[in-house]
Amino acid sequence: MSQARNLVLIAVGLAILAIMPLFLSANLMNAVIKMMIAALFALAFTLAMGQAGMLSFGHAAYYGLGAFAALHLMRAVEMKLFFFPTPLVPIAGAAIGFLFGAVFGWLATQRTGVYFAMVTLALAELLFTLAPTWNSVFGGESGISTMRGASWGLSFGSDSHVYYLTLAWFVISAWCMWAFTKSPLGRLALALRDNEHRVRFLGFNTHVARTLIFAISCLFTGVAGALLAIANEATNYTIFSAQASANVVLQTFIGGAGTFFGPALGAATMTFFARVTSDLTRSWLLYQGLIFVLIMLFAPEGLGGIVSLHARKLRPGGWRHLLLPYLLCLVAALPLIGGLVFVVESIHVIMTDAYFAKRAAAGGAWVAYQLFGHTFEPLGPTTWAIPITLLGVGSLLLPMARRVTAAAWLLATQDQPPPSPRAMLSLQHPSRS
Amino acid sequence: MNRAIAAASMPGALSGAPVLELRNLTKSFGETEIIRGVDLVVKRGQRHALIGPNGAGKSTLFNLISGHYVPSSGEILLNGETIAGLPPHAINRRGLSRSFQITNVFPRMSVAENLRISIMGRHGHRLTLFRPVASLKAVNDEVDGIIDKLRLGRRRNDLAGDLAYSEQRILEMGMSLATDPAVLLLDEPTAGLSREETAYIVELIRQVTEGRTLLVVEHDMSVVFTLSDQISVLVYGEVIASGEPAGVRADKKVQEAYLGEEVH
Amino acid sequence: MEYIVVSILNGVVHGLLLFMVSAGLTLIFGMMGVLNFAHAWFYMLGAYVGFTLTRLGGFWIGLLLAPIIAGLAGALVERYMLRRVHHYGHAHELLLTFGLAFIIEEIIKLFYGDALVSYQMPDYMRFAAFTIFETNYPFYRLFMGAVAIGMFVFLYLLLTRTRVGIIVRAATYRPSTVEALGHNLPLVFMGVFAGGSALAGLAGAVAGAFYPTGPNMAVDFGTLVFVVVVVGGLGSVVGALIASLMIGLFISFSVGLNVSIADLLGLFGLGNWANDIGGLFTLQLSTIANSMPFLLMLLVLLIRPAGLMGDRQ
Repeated sequence: MSQARNLVLIAVGLAILAIMPLFLSANLMNAVIKMMIAALFALAFTLAMGQAGMLSFGHAAYYGLGAFAALHLMRAVEMKLFFFPTPLVPIAGAAIGFLFGAVFGWLATQRTGVYFAMVTLALAELLFTLAPTWNSVFGGESGISTMRGASWGLSFGSDSHVYYLTLAWFVISAWCMWAFTKSPLGRLALALRDNEHRVRFLGFNTHVARTLIFAISCLFTGVAGALLAIANEATNYTIFSAQASANVVLQTFIGGAGTFFGPALGAATMTFFARVTSDLTRSWLLYQGLIFVLIMLFAPEGLGGIVSLHARKLRPGGWRHLLLPYLLCLVAALPLIGGLVFVVESIHVIMTDAYFAKRAAAGGAWVAYQLFGHTFEPLGPTTWAIPITLLGVGSLLLPMARRVTAAAWLLATQDQPPPSPRAMLSLQHPSRS
Repeated sequence: MNRAIAAASMPGALSGAPVLELRNLTKSFGETEIIRGVDLVVKRGQRHALIGPNGAGKSTLFNLISGHYVPSSGEILLNGETIAGLPPHAINRRGLSRSFQITNVFPRMSVAENLRISIMGRHGHRLTLFRPVASLKAVNDEVDGIIDKLRLGRRRNDLAGDLAYSEQRILEMGMSLATDPAVLLLDEPTAGLSREETAYIVELIRQVTEGRTLLVVEHDMSVVFTLSDQISVLVYGEVIASGEPAGVRADKKVQEAYLGEEVH
Repeated sequence: MEYIVVSILNGVVHGLLLFMVSAGLTLIFGMMGVLNFAHAWFYMLGAYVGFTLTRLGGFWIGLLLAPIIAGLAGALVERYMLRRVHHYGHAHELLLTFGLAFIIEEIIKLFYGDALVSYQMPDYMRFAAFTIFETNYPFYRLFMGAVAIGMFVFLYLLLTRTRVGIIVRAATYRPSTVEALGHNLPLVFMGVFAGGSALAGLAGAVAGAFYPTGPNMAVDFGTLVFVVVVVGGLGSVVGALIASLMIGLFISFSVGLNVSIADLLGLFGLGNWANDIGGLFTLQLSTIANSMPFLLMLLVLLIRPAGLMGDRQ
């Protein structure tokens, strides 16, 4: 039974998350905290998008507002204006997120589709341009900072306290959003995604419904923002940037908006890679964009969709057929990735000021540069041979890998049994508009 | 509660009282006049067919009545109340429902879910958040009931997008029906169906619309003459004839308008 | 008075620039149903092409090559990317162009760094066209306006007087009929897409020499373009023109006005009270000049949700 299996998986996942702090360094623990926050952000984003079909390009607005609300609350506590327990601070994020989600949502949901997306973008940009000028609320260019206050016997000075706080809110929020999908409003959201026009003629005021759904999405986005503020104890106006909004969109679709946990998976994975590669490269965003475009082109259901596809379609024991083909795909993909990374990183090094200075010192000549611990001559034959060979090998192997995988896939899934004679007689019309 | 029965028990609601009235209705898009002064009366319990050549404006008329378009002038009265200019959801809540010529279901949801959306509004669960939809007994019982009526039991959990075309047409109609309207507008319910499927669906329509008022747009003349007890003919945005089937059939103007049309 | 005249001139030029870019976007959307999110990134691409070629010695070559390169990029995107995902729906196409915008920006940052680059007009263009009320009005602004007007005239003539134009206009309304009449519809689509992108690239090359050129210019300009199309109504070129001019004028007038709500309230004797409250009340119009277009958009949405020239949904 897949439901039992899912519950077991979730329980195991939660258990792992719960005991992780015992084994992680402070740095890694911080990374997992950020991954959970990103996952929550993505889940909240998907509530509006994947479910109700409302593609929001400006969701960072509510993320940032949640963060600022939390910071102001914590500041008030810090200045002893009144007491408010730190673990409940995300409520402020939720409230502000819901409020602005309702107001902005009311405006934005007057339009649908691409119009809606653009309006949400413009609203976020409005905040982004307004924030640095409004010092009292947003702290101008440098932002606001504060300290976490002690509550409920915990000091919240250490990362592990923050970790468990984040984990608790993540679990609660995720559960709430999952319960939402089972509620009448949640089902209505799916109907709105499929065919908003029709919903109107079934007696629903779709404007009100979409506003409410959007506001709920922004509520949980606000919680994510508040958790970020608690973790970082500071934020500034750059949290409203188009970059931040873009990130959640990319991460969600890489993970796949079609499943419930797809977005969380995408966000957590991408956040993880961003942190891990931040020492190795400054072009991570480029790689993330490339991954996104490749997924959009070739795997539109995202990583989560791929996982779910396997879970749904593979017949028992079918995975055996796929082991070797996937290995072949890996063998084809690695040189391509290697070649690309080599080119990108080389360009990066060559374009730095340090290299420019070296060139100037050598009278303009193309001096050697350092990459991955080796030295390369920009105009030397090896330097060009490496990427060319890698890309060449990869390109040659790729079509073969695709063919082999496609064949293996047929074997592994042994698609639906041939239709019964009765079913074949019933008239099938392609009537999806 | 069946709203049709409730409406029928209202004072003055004798079988034969007008439930839907169009008075001098016009609609223009820019310079182009599509509906040029339509008068139409649909009486309670009638099975009223609206026929006419292509481009006469039948779909536009439906769009006007159901609230998708706002009339340029004229009146639309439902149970004596004016509904012209109201948004579609308000009109639906007043007891008028329509189906669509192009199948308009929720393809990625199951048949049962499609119908559940149509039903839950009436039970006050439009924006309900804090209860799982599976726990709404009254709603789910009604869903089961209508699935039986529509004879879609086998396909209950299949995605609407995966249904055969004829089944989708039935579901399409079923969704409008599920909102329990006093007046049901069906826009070419048999469009694209074979002869056997058409006969089947007409029989189904007859059964499930007992006690309701029906306004149907149809091209298939055999369906029209089997199903309806009143026919109105729309040509170039005007009603040129309205009355019992035999009379309309014999009307010279109607025959001219249909010159070249094959009458089954 | 001087302020008004100068602001009008600046506003019109800025608006015409906006129009150059939004016209292409709105045409592409009207015809293909695709909103090319990356449109403003082709603008940025054009600016950087102009910058690179100016550095290598040729400003005018830059102006020539920018539209060509941007147009070529547009053609490739349409042919190899958009066409592939067409059957997944418009939202998917939008997302794809979104990712593309991201990639273009990162590649530009890779080659040129995060900071502004010094893309300057050639020295011989750096003079005052005329003096108005003691202000020297820069020639280059008029040059930008002239290019925009020239492009508008060219586009108008192309669409209304040539055979290609008729086909393109027909395809805006009835693409399948045009195809049934024997025209190569995919080629028309690709051509329009490339053409729109080329215009954006040209606008970038021209504007980049005057306005700051940096990796953020696409986002900044792009959101303005989106506001234009929301306000003007997607698919309506005339709407785009009106909205562009409105927004251009709005911004240029706000930039110089150091008034705040407190100042306005001062007219009613409430100035001191408002000043004491501070915050939003003392915010000067000039500081939030950049936010004005968004406020305008909100206003239009409240009054006329379909945009100025859009039709009721």
